[in-house]
Order: sequence, then C-alpha cells, then structure tokens
Amino acid sequence: MRNFQSLRFLALFKKMFLKFGIDYEAMQKILRVKLTMDERRVPTIFNDSRKKKDGNQFLKSLWIYGLYGLMLIPFIVLGDSYIFQMSIVFGMIMFILMTSMISDFSSVLLDVRDKNILQTKPIRGKTISAAKIVHVMIYMSFITGAFVTIPLLVSLFRHGIVFMFIFLAELLLVMLFVVVVTSLLYLFVLRFFDGERLKDIINYVQILLSIGVVIGYQLLIRSFGFVDLDITYTFSWWHLFIPPIWYGAPFELLLAHNVTNYTIIFTILAVCIPVLAIYCYARLMPSFERNLEKLMSDTRKRKKKGNRLDEMWARITCRRNEERVFFRFAALMMKQEREFKLKVYPALGMSLVFPFVFIFSELRERTFADISTGNMFLFIYFCNLMIPNIVHMLKFSGSYKGSWLFKATPIQQMSTAYSGTLKAFLVKLYVPILLVLSVVFTWIFTVRILPDLVAVLLAGIGQTLVTYKLINDEEYPFSKSFEFTQDAGGAKMLLLSLVTGVFVVGHLIATPFNYGIYVYIVLLLAVVLIGWRMVFPSKGSIGFARGSGS
Amino acid sequence: MGTTNEKILSLRNVTMDYGGKRVLNGVNLEVSKGQIIGYIGPNGAGKSTTVKIMLGLIDNYRGEVEIFGQDIASGDPSYKRKIGYVPENAEAYDNLTASEYLIFTAELYGMNRAHAEDKATKLMKEFELGDVIHTRLSSFSKGMKQKVLIISSLLHDPDLLFLDEPLSGLDANSMMVIQEILLQLAAQGKTIFYSSHIMDLVEKISNRIVLLVKGEIVADGSFKELQEMSEEGTLAEIFNQLTGFTEHKNRAEKFVSIVQEEQAHA
Repeated sequence: MRNFQSLRFLALFKKMFLKFGIDYEAMQKILRVKLTMDERRVPTIFNDSRKKKDGNQFLKSLWIYGLYGLMLIPFIVLGDSYIFQMSIVFGMIMFILMTSMISDFSSVLLDVRDKNILQTKPIRGKTISAAKIVHVMIYMSFITGAFVTIPLLVSLFRHGIVFMFIFLAELLLVMLFVVVVTSLLYLFVLRFFDGERLKDIINYVQILLSIGVVIGYQLLIRSFGFVDLDITYTFSWWHLFIPPIWYGAPFELLLAHNVTNYTIIFTILAVCIPVLAIYCYARLMPSFERNLEKLMSDTRKRKKKGNRLDEMWARITCRRNEERVFFRFAALMMKQEREFKLKVYPALGMSLVFPFVFIFSELRERTFADISTGNMFLFIYFCNLMIPNIVHMLKFSGSYKGSWLFKATPIQQMSTAYSGTLKAFLVKLYVPILLVLSVVFTWIFTVRILPDLVAVLLAGIGQTLVTYKLINDEEYPFSKSFEFTQDAGGAKMLLLSLVTGVFVVGHLIATPFNYGIYVYIVLLLAVVLIGWRMVFPSKGSIGFARGSGS
Repeated sequence: MGTTNEKILSLRNVTMDYGGKRVLNGVNLEVSKGQIIGYIGPNGAGKSTTVKIMLGLIDNYRGEVEIFGQDIASGDPSYKRKIGYVPENAEAYDNLTASEYLIFTAELYGMNRAHAEDKATKLMKEFELGDVIHTRLSSFSKGMKQKVLIISSLLHDPDLLFLDEPLSGLDANSMMVIQEILLQLAAQGKTIFYSSHIMDLVEKISNRIVLLVKGEIVADGSFKELQEMSEEGTLAEIFNQLTGFTEHKNRAEKFVSIVQEEQAHA
C-alpha cells in the first residue's frame, strides 16, 4: 500500500473532519485500503483493456473523459444565450458524472463487505459513512477534473474570470448533487424493490454508458458542424424539474443581469437542493445500511416467469432434445447473466445504431429520395459485424465454475451444446436486431429490398457458423472465465469481421443480374444448411460407438 | 444395512500426476452396492481428484476405473446417467433461478422436463425452499444453495452418489435431515461416496471408511476395524494418528503464546 496523493490533499481538511466528530485517522486508514483495492479494478469505460495491469486503471482511463470534455467547448464558445448553452453543458456533465457514478462507483456505495468487516470494528458509523462519501468524492473530482479542465480554461478566455468562478462553484454543487442523488436513488430502489432489481438497474446503466460513449464519439466529431445556438430561451413551469437548467440560470442572472423570477428561482434551487440532499442523506444513511442487507440475501417469494416464446423457438429450431435443453439454457444465460450482458449488449446497441449513422451522414449531402433508390441499404451489413465478437463471448460466463455440470452429466453429443447455444444467439439476439433494422430499412428503401434482407440474414447465420468453427471449436459454452476474453487475439477477430465483407462482395456481385439475388439466396441457403450439418454432425457420437464395445 | 456383493465401482492402480507432482499413487478400491463410503484424508491428499476422475471431469489418469461394470475411459458418457454429484464450494450457474437450474440439470441427465419441474418443486418444498424456487441462486445463502445442489444431485434418482463436503453451510436440523436421507437411500441399495472433514459425521453415517494420505490409501474398513488398527478412540484421533499428526498440542500452545505477546511500548 502506498501513500496516495489524494489522501495527502485530504489531510488539509483534517480539522474540519474532526470538528464533525469523525475519527480522521480511522477514516484515512479505511480510504487507503479502499484506494489500494481500486487499483486492482477495471472501470467500465475502459472495458476493452486487458486485465492485470499495474496501477489504478481508473486514473489511466481519465484521458477518455478529457476527450469527451472537448464536446462542451462549442456550447461554451458559440452563441450568447447563457442559460440555454450552459444548461446543455451541465446536462452533459451530469450525464457523464451520473452514469460513471452508477457504473463504476456503485460498488463503493453498495459494498456489503463494509458491513461485516468495518461495522464489527470499534469505529463509529459516522466515520464509516464519511469514508464512503469521501471515497466517492475523490473519484468524482478526478472525473470532473478530467472532463472540464479544458472547457474551463476556454471559458476563462472567452467569458472572463467571473464566468469561470461561477462555473467552478457550480461544478462543486453538481458533484455533490450527483453523488447524493445517486445514493438516494439506491435508497429508494432498495426500499421498494429488491437487491436483484437494483443490480439489474446498475447493469443497464453500465450498458447505456458503454453505448453512450461510442455514440458520443460520433456526435463529438460532428458537433462543430451542427451547433446552431441562435435560440432564445422561454420559460415554462416544467423547467423547474430539469436540474441542468438550474445550473444554467446563475450565469444568466449574474453575468447577463437578466433578473427575472425564474432565474432567481433556478439559482436558489441550484444551491439549496444539493445542501438539502446532503441533509436527507445523513438522515437516511442508517436505513440505507439496513436495506443493504437485501443485497446479501434476497429470499422473497417470486412468481415463475413464463417463457413460452423460448419454448416455441426451441421446438422449431432444434430437433434433438439435448439441443433444446441447451437452447433454453443459453437463452436464459443471455437474458440473465449481467456480466455477459455488460460485454455483449453494448455491441448489440451499436449494431443497431451504426447502420443509421452512415445513412444520416449521407442524408446531409443527398436527398432522401435519392438515397432510397440506391444501394445504401447494404449498410445493414454493419449489424453482422457484431457476430464474431458475440459468438466469441458465448464461451465465457461469470459463474463459469458451474460448468463441471457438463462433464458430470451424460451428455451424449457434445456438439449439441454449441448448436443449441448458437441457435439461441441467433433467435434471441441477432434476429431481433436485424428485424428492427429491417423494418426501418424497408420503410426507407421500400419493399424492393426484402430479398436482400433475406440474404443478409443468411449471411449472418453463415458468419456465425464460420466464427464458431474458427474460434469456439470443441469447448462447452459459458465455461470459461471472462478474464480470458482477450486470448483470442485481435488479428483473428479482425479477420473474422472481414468475413462480413466477403458476404457484402457476394451480394454486390449478385445484384446487377436479373434474379441474381435469388440465386445468391439459394446458394447461401444451401451453404448454411450443409455447413451446419457438417459442423454439428447429428449421427450418434463417436464415444457412444466405442463405448458399446467394452 | 444390507450390503450385497454387487460391484458398483472399482479403481485399479489409479495414478495421477498433476504438474509434475504425484497426486494419486496407485489407488485400489472396490465398492459394492448399498455402501456408504466415508472418504477422508488431510487437505491435498487427493480426495477431490479421485472423485473428479470417477465423474469424468479429469481424464488423463493412469490405471483403470470401472463404474457399473463399464470402463469409463471408453468415452461413452451414459454411465453418468445414474450418478449424482454435489461439488464442494457450491459451484453453480447462479444467475439462474433455483427452478431453472434444477430443470436444466435434470434435463442433462435425460429427464423429462415436466416431470423434472414437478419433482423439483416438491423437493424444494420439503426443504422449506418452496418460496424461493423462482429466485436466482446468486441471492441464496450458502446453506440454501447447498440444499439446491443436493436436490439437483438426487432429482434423477441416481444409484451412485458422490458428495463432496455436502453439509457445509447447513444448520443442525438440516444436517440431520440430510443424514437420515443418506441412510435411507443406502438402505434402498444406493451407493454413497462421501468425502468430508467433519469426522463425527463420517463416523456416524459411514459403514466403511477409506483414509487417503498423500495419494495412497492407508486405511480401509469399518469404524470398528479402524479402531482396532490403532489405540485411539474417536475417528478424529485415529485420523491424527494415521496421518502421523501428533503435535497438535504443541502447535496450539505456540499459537496461544503468540496471541498473548505484549505490544512493545514505544
């Protein structure tokens, strides 16, 4: 354990903590342990990085926040409606802080180990709570710092020193606001729902953050192009419920001297709500701790969830019973395993968004009618790009240790495990995405592209099969630790993505001919059907034949 | 307990090396129908390895393993159809609900889905877990999860049971229920292979005790026979003697004296 800079900085406030009756020495010791543990954790925003690196991965990921901070600059520099621009700026800041707070620091707020480890020691509850909040605040300062330092400097040059100080003061309030409101949100969820639901919510926010970051990157590139801030702000009563606007108002009030009822009310809200929230937090902390128990054991009565649809698909797509068992198992794992979802759903989100990103950028140069007659619909192949990545992920599971089951049970044919799993992937993840895209694409490009869409689907199935054959061969699904996800080698994954290109080329070759696309479809269908038979032979297993001899 | 001479499993000269280290060294063992084998030994003696070999989780052993008269190296997994297994550390796909998990395992053993669900629900109720059958295993306590795993090992009515520390995390009442279940199952002709560190329990329920030390069987017989082999009274003491561990008192004394060391005042 080393001496942390942040703790040295904290020592400056030692007297303040002591005044509040907090055991500073104990708090510092707790924080040192926590910061050390954090060095061994990988944040969501960086989830592509390899594990087991030295140092605090979080600190090393801060430059990403710095990059995203650049997005704020046009809103600060251009236009002259303070309330409008700064509301947008604070909206973005709050989004980033809130999502990273939930995705990366929930574990801090919700650490149930604290209960067993710390509360059994002779330390006051107040000290433990303070350590928790300070711990989170240290990180929030880092994120905020990385995110706004450059915009802050830009604002100094553009609007002067007063503007910067207002900005700085508000940032402090926003940080407090976000940390405390998130805690209160958890408190609320835990009060009325159970721990499993909370874990689901956190999981979905993590997924949202991962998607948001990539889409944000697209926006960043384009943001200078379409910022048009010649909008005048008009007040409506419901603006009172939108926190970013509270923080836009003080600039209007203090710099533009726009003294109206609403700017005053917003400013008061901006200052008072965080303070009030802290008060609530301090009061509710004990009941929060009590409800945390729910995270440890959750034994409430629950109804059976019906999944007749899965049942139906299992019957339609799988012929052998063993295969159906794996189909249902894989469907459940994909739906319920949070770690799997965290790795896979962002890719799904992107494959849903990317085809449109390209069409939209094209829209700025050409007319809608022009686009709808061309070959632009081929962008739908972007959703096939996700296939290698996700098929690769099917090998892994957070509870991979449970896979002793596959070896201890009399599975007659190992190959049914994967053929069922791949079918579940196609039915549960791939086809729904393709279906949504198809509906919108059919609307844009008219029904003439329907045969092409069928070709895309068959290409997707084909690519799934090729990927499986090349990287998953011979192992059971959901049976390895996620720690090994990087072992496949980037080159191999890239190569497998290129398979999509092969299908696109095939499609392009077929298109110019009369009925060419239909020939292509028949060809693909034959390849997929024969390929599937070859990869997953349905005859009795070799082992069975040998076994009968003994 | 009726022990017939029908052979359920036999190990012949089973040897296993793991990373250059010999874990099992020529283990020979024959088990007949209806026996409850207490399989004991110090940590790292090779107990779990033996069980894993018999289940087909490890296949690079040397020697011969026959279960239900079939050489398991043949590659035909159907001998597993009549085997139940409770792993140590309660490892399971715990993002599934109890019912989903139970049905899944039962189906892997070749059971019909509806039948499995019906049976699982009934068994869960018997263990007072009827309310949480549709709750995810990840939120279960150790004891609850252990009960689910015990159910999953019995759902398909196996003839041979491998239990690795099956009572960990269970309360005294549940322990007694499970013990009784095991005794009754054995009386019905089921064979139970039971490994544990809790000597009292092993002493109580096993009708044959096998002691493994450093990959070799050093004692094999009923509790009575083991008592005759050594002068000690309880199984724990016999265990100490046969594993050559006699210094527990010295070690404890030293430990306590360190605990009581005064802090040097600076």
